[in-house]
Amino acid sequence: MKRRTMAAFLAAVLTAGALAGCGNDAGKTDTPAYNAAGSGADHAAAAPTEAGDDAGAGADTDADAAGGSIVSAPTELTYIFADGDEGAKAAMNEIVNKFNETYPDITVTIEPGNGGAYSEFIKTKDSVGEFPDVMEMRDTAVYVRAGKLEPLPDDIVALFKTTTAFDGKVYTAPFAGENTNGIIYNKTYFDENGLTEPTTYDEFIELCQTIQDKGDMAPLVVGGQDIWHMGFWFHKAYNDQVLSQDPDFIEHCYDGSKDFSDETFKKTFEEMQQIMQYAQDGWSSTPDAQITTFMVNDMAAMMYSGTHMFSQIAAADPDFEMGWFPVPSPDGKTRLVGGGGVGGLAISAEAAKDPDKKAAAEEFIRFFYAPENYKIYCEKLSAIPVTVDEPELEAMDVFKEVVEATNNADDLAPMWNGRVGNNELPPDFRNFTYKTLIEVLQGTRDIDSACEELNKTWKVGMESFNPLTGVGIE
Amino acid sequence: MTKKKGKIDKTAMLFIGPAFILFTVFVVVPTISSFYYSLTSWDGVSPKVTFIGLANYKEIFTSARFGNALKNTFILTVFISIFENAFALGLALMVDHVRWGKNVFRSAFYIPVLISGIVSGFIWKIMYNYNFGTFNSLLQGAGLGEYKQDWLGNTALTLLMIGIVMVWKGAGYYMIIYLASLQSVSPELIEAAEIDGASAWQRFKSITIPLISGAFTINLTLSLIKGLKVFDEINVMTDGGPGFTSETLVYLLYKVGFNEGRQGFGTAVGVMLLFIIIILNAVQQKFLKSREVQM
Repeated sequence: MKRRTMAAFLAAVLTAGALAGCGNDAGKTDTPAYNAAGSGADHAAAAPTEAGDDAGAGADTDADAAGGSIVSAPTELTYIFADGDEGAKAAMNEIVNKFNETYPDITVTIEPGNGGAYSEFIKTKDSVGEFPDVMEMRDTAVYVRAGKLEPLPDDIVALFKTTTAFDGKVYTAPFAGENTNGIIYNKTYFDENGLTEPTTYDEFIELCQTIQDKGDMAPLVVGGQDIWHMGFWFHKAYNDQVLSQDPDFIEHCYDGSKDFSDETFKKTFEEMQQIMQYAQDGWSSTPDAQITTFMVNDMAAMMYSGTHMFSQIAAADPDFEMGWFPVPSPDGKTRLVGGGGVGGLAISAEAAKDPDKKAAAEEFIRFFYAPENYKIYCEKLSAIPVTVDEPELEAMDVFKEVVEATNNADDLAPMWNGRVGNNELPPDFRNFTYKTLIEVLQGTRDIDSACEELNKTWKVGMESFNPLTGVGIE
Repeated sequence: MTKKKGKIDKTAMLFIGPAFILFTVFVVVPTISSFYYSLTSWDGVSPKVTFIGLANYKEIFTSARFGNALKNTFILTVFISIFENAFALGLALMVDHVRWGKNVFRSAFYIPVLISGIVSGFIWKIMYNYNFGTFNSLLQGAGLGEYKQDWLGNTALTLLMIGIVMVWKGAGYYMIIYLASLQSVSPELIEAAEIDGASAWQRFKSITIPLISGAFTINLTLSLIKGLKVFDEINVMTDGGPGFTSETLVYLLYKVGFNEGRQGFGTAVGVMLLFIIIILNAVQQKFLKSREVQM
């Protein structure tokens, strides 16, 4: 009997032990025992910076670009980015191939980036000791605090109009201006049916209802299986209902003066419920990668997404005529996502210990943002350039409309989860919110109970992360 | 030749040593250290590990999310244990009785086992797709469009659909074990019962089932463990969604540990899972072993 019990115990230990323990220990083993420059950065000090005055302090890249060696021995760099988007994948491959051809003694190798759940993928790579040398960094504050990133040299910082600094040091080279979301619609369908772009929120809802009543196609296509896609809509409703009333709502949740049972937050869910009744059947199991198919196959009239979709739609059907408009807020104002973000290209602090790797990684970033190369990225993703020396883009009309809308918007701000300082969210509170939102939209949870769950999760999250008290920051 | 009691057998140690070291380093040490990490608020990235006592366990017992994951794990485990074994036994009986092509059928039914969980998850995810998937296209083609379902998006169906993939993928493996056991059943016993007038069902119930009960024990144990640790298919097909509909304990462990920067809490979930597996395994072993027939 003893032997049998022991066998049962060992079987259980083998299963659960491997699951529960390996990741943690791997993480411990791989935790570097060094203090990088960014370690302990004062989180509250994170602030946008203007292009540095000490531009030109870096190396002479022209000589390097001409083929001169910047490394003492052949150097290999691993590079990971969120490759869920076809445009990003194509642009990155093209730029990396160009770089590898220009610098024969440096090889940049792109590793798969699992675009669907990129943040956790990077964390997993870190835990198993495969943190890339150069990467697209999204949770910049977390990795800066953990000392995992290398500060960028001044000459690279000076390439950009704005960057975000932590304790005076910049760790990421922003890819583009924040991706401005809006409605991309089937212009031919609109023209044929006498539909026009709405100028108020009520007109937008009326437009959705009209399309639904016609029954030709779904008014909206939503890629709800990818919860970050849900974030596009959530941010719009949150911006309309919460941020319009209190731009520092999250800070007030930290200090306890507000919580997620706030009426404005409940209205966010209500606005989402109103909009999502016009989404296509099966929206919760539709991946973002599939929404273009809906548009070009006349299965949906509109999608709400960023400018990166323009090139994808054009690639899927060059004859597809698209239009674009921002969705006004219920109070009549136009609030858009825009401006600089905290994410971007970053260099691993571990890789930077090797002088060759550091030089190669920095050179790769310089090369990436050279106008002729950055142009590839911006055009493929319809990204708004952020460099001082802007590339000349051959932009579509809809893209020009977006730029104009961002210039005329009543409010331009980063996504709710992209804010730093006292409004930074606890790790993954964003995903928890989106998942809870899906429960509300599917009717498996009511709004009050959703708010309660968010309050509970917030309370737990605050115990390990609170920029006001410094918990989880130092 | 007998060795003196208490004396170390160097040759035996040489054979045991490497496996013992690997097992200790990669299983025992992480398992033990898990107990420590489950008492901390470690985020999985930072070198700083803060001891917080039993706070993670307190949260586990009050968290609706853990309760939901436990319920989902239980539903999937029961579904997989029952249907995987029933399906596998059916296949084994069929293969055992066919007169020709035995190897062809055996290989065909085993093929899904060889496909990785990630790949099979992708294949089934495509087939389940609401707008472009195989099942809804077939229903539409057959004029049954009103029965189209959002197989993975409908919260009432999601777990069932994942369970079906698990059964499809795993049944071939259990079939082989049942088949081996069936082929060891003495034909004389079956013939004797047949001569005595026992019907096919009586022969199966009273002779075959007791004689293959060892295979039941093995297969039910394996499917129980498999059900408790299902991950790949959920990761690929639903990512625990819609919402939290298909989040199981292992998936919760992964999400909070790696995605939400709460390795301490994730490890506490892992420790709870360890105890759940120990208890369920012990109960199952006790129950099944008592029903085994020794030949």
